[in-house]
Amino acid sequence: MFAHPDRGSFGGAVLDRVLAGLSRSGHEVRMRDLYAEGYESRLSLDEKRHHLASPDTKPQLARDFDDLRWAETLVLVHPTWWGAQPAILKGWIDRAWACGVAWELPEGAKRLKPTLSNVRRIATFTTHGSPWRVNALQGVPGRRIANRSLRVICHPLCRTRWVAFYGTDSSTAERRSRYLARVERAAARL
Amino acid sequence: MKAVVVVAHPDPASFTHAASLRVRRGLEAAGHSVEVIDLTAIDYPGALRPDEWRAYESETPVLDPTVAAHIELVRAAEALVFVYPTWWSSIPAVMKAWFERTFVPGVAFVLDPRTRRVRPALGHVRHLVGVTTYGSPRWYVKLVNDNGRRTIARTLRIATGRGTRVTWLPMYSLDGHDEAARAAFLDRVERTMGGLR
Repeated sequence: MFAHPDRGSFGGAVLDRVLAGLSRSGHEVRMRDLYAEGYESRLSLDEKRHHLASPDTKPQLARDFDDLRWAETLVLVHPTWWGAQPAILKGWIDRAWACGVAWELPEGAKRLKPTLSNVRRIATFTTHGSPWRVNALQGVPGRRIANRSLRVICHPLCRTRWVAFYGTDSSTAERRSRYLARVERAAARL
Repeated sequence: MKAVVVVAHPDPASFTHAASLRVRRGLEAAGHSVEVIDLTAIDYPGALRPDEWRAYESETPVLDPTVAAHIELVRAAEALVFVYPTWWSSIPAVMKAWFERTFVPGVAFVLDPRTRRVRPALGHVRHLVGVTTYGSPRWYVKLVNDNGRRTIARTLRIATGRGTRVTWLPMYSLDGHDEAARAAFLDRVERTMGGLR
């Protein structure tokens, strides 16, 4: 899942290296570029009304559902803005991680039951404008959304990986290229 | 005091909207002036646009008149109130989009051109308030770390400064509560908002 408005940016270079690493290891890859697709991030009133209904009530999300059920590894590539995923990626989570795909709410149950047991790995490759300590102070909400809130819906032994770049605003070309090499290595090892 | 209330829920008949009405009533009864931004009602876009991203670090990061109007309201505000349902432990995408488009350089913070360091610029905001519903019980919300609260009470608070007070009004296990408990929560919202000074 790629969520950067500019494919030609440093974030786009990160995506290139993620794809290179994955293909080096012979994985089958589906790539979604949410900005290029013009993805609608807002959960609609109709989707809210069908919150507990079957996925068939949301044909507009069929492709998202199919991708989620197909994946064994989920790779998120995005800049971190205001401590978390860009709105367009949060919107994909809000809408696609739906009842009957990611979870169920059995009759009388108080908590939802996770059903995305096909996903055994969540890996995030993300860039931060600010230094690491600022993000620590913010409480790293983006990392916790991916590695906790999404993680508990996946396979019980699902592992998480966080490959982050900090201080983009003040970074040197050398640091950026070291990070890109690290991205490719990490992606190849998934 | 001037307060800006940002509301994000696709259903105008939702409990979230009921809570936002009580927020307004509480604040107005205490003599505060209130501006409500209902993101669904104004069909607010769901993402920062590519041209906005390119303009982000320029001299003129704001391209959209709606965003400019919201920035004027935020600049005059002493209280920012966020009313929303918690989805996947955080704020809905459209509210995240509002953060990304409104809190640009020069509004939420200024980037020191020499050190490239961020300096807070929302020092005039004395109160940050979150009014939110959770599907999950409190223990679960704490386990996944309540990332909406972290976004508002910690991430945004870095831009407002240490003097800013955070007021959090959570309704956990929303579906597990009867009408009376929901009504009591709404009363508490109105009372608490009326008590802001």
